[in-house]
Amino acid sequence: MFDSVDPKSGLPIYLQITEQLRRSVAAGLLLPGDQLPSVRELAARLLVNPNTVAKVYRDLERDGLLETRRGQGTFIAADAAAMAEGERRRLLTGELRAVARDVHAFGLDEEAALDLFRRVLKDEQPGRKDRR
Amino acid sequence: MSDNNFAIQTHSLTKRFGRVRALNGVSAHVPTGAIYGLMGPNGAGKTTFVRVMLNLLNPTRGSATVLGHDVVREPVAVRRRVGHVAALQPLWEWMKVSEFTDFVGGCYPQWDPEAASSILSHVGIDPEMKIQALSRGQRAIAALAAAMGHEPDLLLLDEALTGLDPMARREVLRNVIEAMHAQGRTVLITGQDIADMERICDHIGFLVKGRLVLESTLDDLKAKVKRIRVEHERDAEIELPAGALEVEQSPAETSFTTADFSEALPASLAGPNRRVEVRDMSLEDIFVHLAQAELRRGAE
Repeated sequence: MFDSVDPKSGLPIYLQITEQLRRSVAAGLLLPGDQLPSVRELAARLLVNPNTVAKVYRDLERDGLLETRRGQGTFIAADAAAMAEGERRRLLTGELRAVARDVHAFGLDEEAALDLFRRVLKDEQPGRKDRR
Repeated sequence: MSDNNFAIQTHSLTKRFGRVRALNGVSAHVPTGAIYGLMGPNGAGKTTFVRVMLNLLNPTRGSATVLGHDVVREPVAVRRRVGHVAALQPLWEWMKVSEFTDFVGGCYPQWDPEAASSILSHVGIDPEMKIQALSRGQRAIAALAAAMGHEPDLLLLDEALTGLDPMARREVLRNVIEAMHAQGRTVLITGQDIADMERICDHIGFLVKGRLVLESTLDDLKAKVKRIRVEHERDAEIELPAGALEVEQSPAETSFTTADFSEALPASLAGPNRRVEVRDMSLEDIFVHLAQAELRRGAE
């Protein structure tokens, strides 16, 4: 469920953990009702400051992705499934923006870029044997 | 008396060794409950700072309070509530691990043998082993166990991770993180491995040549210090902001580091045929860029 964090990447660790969690929900790897490790467990596992994990949980709870049940722990919220579609769009938009900037910088026209994208999309289809 | 918001508070702290100022007017604030990383190049004064906090050294000028106690006037009260681990600190080679922790425990009225032995058993160190038979990593854990048995409110880790293999480092870090669970416990850690600092610290102090050139939360520091990269028309003149560091220029690209980032900056650099990119920096890059600028300033 959680990768390791990479302190050398420059991206604040808080954001790294937040994005991993959002991504897991978007991809359906975490479903409503799934329990998350306690703040202390996750901090010890990822070797990060417990305050950082607490802040991630707090902020995602405020956003409605997580819910805390008193005395039981932290869980993926019931509404998370409904939010997953929005999450998927948000994550993809962010990554496509980076690609779009390169497309413009390299001077590709729209048709060539879309053509390339269609080809890559096909290559990466799950189950294709020649996928790298 | 200092207030309880700070586990460590120093005021214009100076320590001279002959003509060398190892600490030069340091006013540091370590909030209660923080994991505070004291960073700096070799010889910056980090270990001197820790030793003054333990009253192993007397300050030349200025003052310091630890957990509300003046370090010079109330050293016993300070040491009773502080745990200390130094790099490769000498241990009594001929003792068994259990004898060592018992011996240290004898110095403290509030010693909890459980706290020490649970750290040891978690990493599989047999208390019956002789200290001399321990690996470097196991020694670090044993030293940590001895520093934690009296449930200190403040843990001073001076280069405690230096020279450890990755397994032992993880184990020490994990123990520090678990120790933080105790309400209000504060950790001050010095060291060279900045990636480890970035993992666990929420506050950072930079010492350069005995001066505390920066003190900040890690979040604020990362929000303020950014690497800016501008792609522009060939040979264009780029207005660099005041205080731009580590400037790199090629015909169609300019990169620099700013220590005072705001959204107004990329806006001011934007233009037709330009692309402005703002990059988050790792603590390591932030440290190197700021330390170099500071050392250069000192040399001028």
